[in-house]
Amino acid sequence: MNEDTYHLNDPTWCRGCGLFGLFAALKKTSAALDLSPEKMVVVTGIGCHGRFNNYFKAYGFHGLHGRALPVATGIKLVNTELAVIVISGDGDAYSIGLSHFVHSVRRNINLTHIVVNNSVFGLTQGQTSPTSQHGFVSISTPAGSKEWPLDGPLLALTSGARFVARGFSGDPKQLTSLLKLAIPHNGYSLVEVLSPCVTHNKLNTYKWYKSHIRDVGRDPDYDPGDRPGAIASFNDREKIPVGLIFKEMGPSFGDLSLPSKMPIALADLHVEEALLNKLLEKFE
Amino acid sequence: MMSSVIKDISIMIAGYAGDGVLFTGNVLGKILKRHGWEVATYRDFPSNIRGEATNYTIRASHEKIYGRGDIIDVLMAFDCDAILRHVHSLEPNGIVLCEGRETERLRPSQTRGKTFHKFPMRELALKNFKSELYKNSILLGGLCYILNLDFQVIAKIISEVFLERKGEDVVEKNVSAVNLGCEQAKIIVEEHDRHTLIERPDKGRLFISGNEAIALGALAAGCRFFAAYPICPASEIWQWLVNYFPEFNGLVVQAEDEISALNMVLGASFAGARAMTSTSGPGASLMMESFGLAGMAEIPVVIAHVQRAGPSTGLPTKPEQSDLNLWVFGSHGDFPRIVLSPGTIEELFEFTITAFNLADKYQCPVIVLTEQDYGQNYFTVDNVDLSDVHIDRAMLLSQEELLKIQDFKRCEFTRNGISPRAIPSMTNGVHLVESVEHDERGYRDENPDIRVRMMEKRMKKLKGALQDLIPPKFWGKNEARVGVIGFGSTISPIREALSQLDEKGIDAKYLQIRTLWPFHAKIVERFMASCEHIFVVENNFSGQLSGLIQGQGVECSRVIKVNKYSGHTFMPVDISAAILKALKR
Repeated sequence: MNEDTYHLNDPTWCRGCGLFGLFAALKKTSAALDLSPEKMVVVTGIGCHGRFNNYFKAYGFHGLHGRALPVATGIKLVNTELAVIVISGDGDAYSIGLSHFVHSVRRNINLTHIVVNNSVFGLTQGQTSPTSQHGFVSISTPAGSKEWPLDGPLLALTSGARFVARGFSGDPKQLTSLLKLAIPHNGYSLVEVLSPCVTHNKLNTYKWYKSHIRDVGRDPDYDPGDRPGAIASFNDREKIPVGLIFKEMGPSFGDLSLPSKMPIALADLHVEEALLNKLLEKFE
Repeated sequence: MMSSVIKDISIMIAGYAGDGVLFTGNVLGKILKRHGWEVATYRDFPSNIRGEATNYTIRASHEKIYGRGDIIDVLMAFDCDAILRHVHSLEPNGIVLCEGRETERLRPSQTRGKTFHKFPMRELALKNFKSELYKNSILLGGLCYILNLDFQVIAKIISEVFLERKGEDVVEKNVSAVNLGCEQAKIIVEEHDRHTLIERPDKGRLFISGNEAIALGALAAGCRFFAAYPICPASEIWQWLVNYFPEFNGLVVQAEDEISALNMVLGASFAGARAMTSTSGPGASLMMESFGLAGMAEIPVVIAHVQRAGPSTGLPTKPEQSDLNLWVFGSHGDFPRIVLSPGTIEELFEFTITAFNLADKYQCPVIVLTEQDYGQNYFTVDNVDLSDVHIDRAMLLSQEELLKIQDFKRCEFTRNGISPRAIPSMTNGVHLVESVEHDERGYRDENPDIRVRMMEKRMKKLKGALQDLIPPKFWGKNEARVGVIGFGSTISPIREALSQLDEKGIDAKYLQIRTLWPFHAKIVERFMASCEHIFVVENNFSGQLSGLIQGQGVECSRVIKVNKYSGHTFMPVDISAAILKALKR
């Protein structure tokens, strides 16, 4: 496999959109991991990121706003042989789909969740999002947002996530290396991507992000296996932690609950009558 | 009832939640079933765990029954309040089994004609078993003496129910408590107060709840993925599947809400599994958005909906039929859907299987719509035939078939609108499932020509489906001029009401609607045209079925609506009296 294997169409996102960085990184990662498009499902929500399926070649499911995670959960549980990648936006994952986000973390389904965070609702023309800064001025909050932003990776960490990473679409190399770790991880893996919206967010630009991120990997003392330490790395109000923030091994939901190795979706549905008749005895 | 040969008997067990009313009722239901009788139970309980009044009626008959009758013959009361609450429903010569002190609070008009058998059940239980819990088995023993039931059968059922969960000691104590009740009854019950239920053969029959019948149907149909959120009165479907799925390589997932549940099911179905969710009122409202996704993305899915009384939280443990409109008309936009309405417990099993085949055939959501009174009550059913179960995945391609296709298009324009389907992991089948309007390959396309063709493609899938769908069932004599129309669990009171009318010399017939959407309008229209008087009987306020009939352009000016929305099912007399009253006018 090479990167072209996954290139279905040239994207039509706004020139300079952070999503281009993710598109390149995911193609690179998929090729490096030798994932066949036929064994891959990309599940997306609603937002600019949702166009991903139109450009990236793999089985795809472009569902409802905020509901990508439960769809992906159903797919993965009935066929564990598939690589399931969920792409959401910050509105998708942290606003309308927040409950699914936290519960998917808790459930530890073996999938990779990429949240493209641009701190604004882009597709609906630039409203304030749950990750917009306090005071953020937009068409929905012209007097400045009166709410405070949430931090997805921190929320995931405190909800028990076993793989938490954050990349920056201005650094596709680092993003690729994070995705290469996330996709093979057994269980739920979160990769948030700080992704400038060049059209609707004039605050969180490439330049702004460059001066506001801190790569935890550069700190020789940083231990991504230490959960309290990882949580503490969010205390720095000035700098957003990026890189591999936390990783620990553990069984996934499928490991714990699937009755056999035979994928449910591929199994023969016909059942021996004798086996069914045995069930009826309970009702006699 | 109180003749020597009993053909139909209703026994109500009444007390407070926490008294063990449900448990005693289930044991009694099983006892009567093993004696070869047809049994239907009727639970009336609050949406509360302890401290509120509850009652459970076990009806047994020589005839096939699916609901409660008009009257209670025997009242087993755990307290005085239970008698005060239910004495008015008791047959004039009815029997009351009670503690003994309660009768002081009753007026002579309330006790006249009735026989009170006084069991010091709590005292006996404490003295002999050091726990009040055994009062239930003592009272059951008393009833068994009065009705001449087979002690061996009772002992066997108690062992079946308790052995695994509670152990030998509890079985022994309960059996001796039944025995004690029996002995006590010998002292206090006169021989002429005893009645005999004639034993009948009990071969190959089941004692099963509607929810269990749905679960069994789903399993037999090849459903192997189930996701849901806890809700009354549908959770028993899940509770049954979660125990039996593993040995069939199936999986049950508890979702964080109904939105997630249906989306999980859609994901599983897209990936190739037969998948289902179950819900009721509020959960169904939450599912509306994803219901439309199933229609738009042409994903087969089965949703079992066990109706409770609405709106809002409503009456979570009480029956109603007010969610017809929700599934027939619900969610934004136009898309194909199929809504089935089983009328018997056998039909719940059969229609659930049919639902999976229809979902695969028409690639759309299929609803199995039933009611709380079916879901949570127990019924005797003739043995279901599992050798007959037919699984048809229709246009789901095999890998070999897919490889032969030059240019696979998931949403290909075809004559009947139904397109071939591939699932992830298949070679040559890569495609997108798209909630946005799309082209034949599934990719977003907002071109008006494509939009029109795609809309028509989806909608025409059900155009020819009517002949494939379960038609209304006709009951009664063709020449009758009084016609009744209903759906779902009203079949039982309607059919008994027809017998009551027959005794009064009135011929009436009944059309049981079994598919609510698409609607068999022509059959209904013909039926209505053959009647002078039309009654549409529904467990709801507004008459959603009559509205549906009218919406199909059927002349409805003569329709007389018979509605009940008290949180209870119809009694046969509710319907026969309403018809008689209307006919007198």
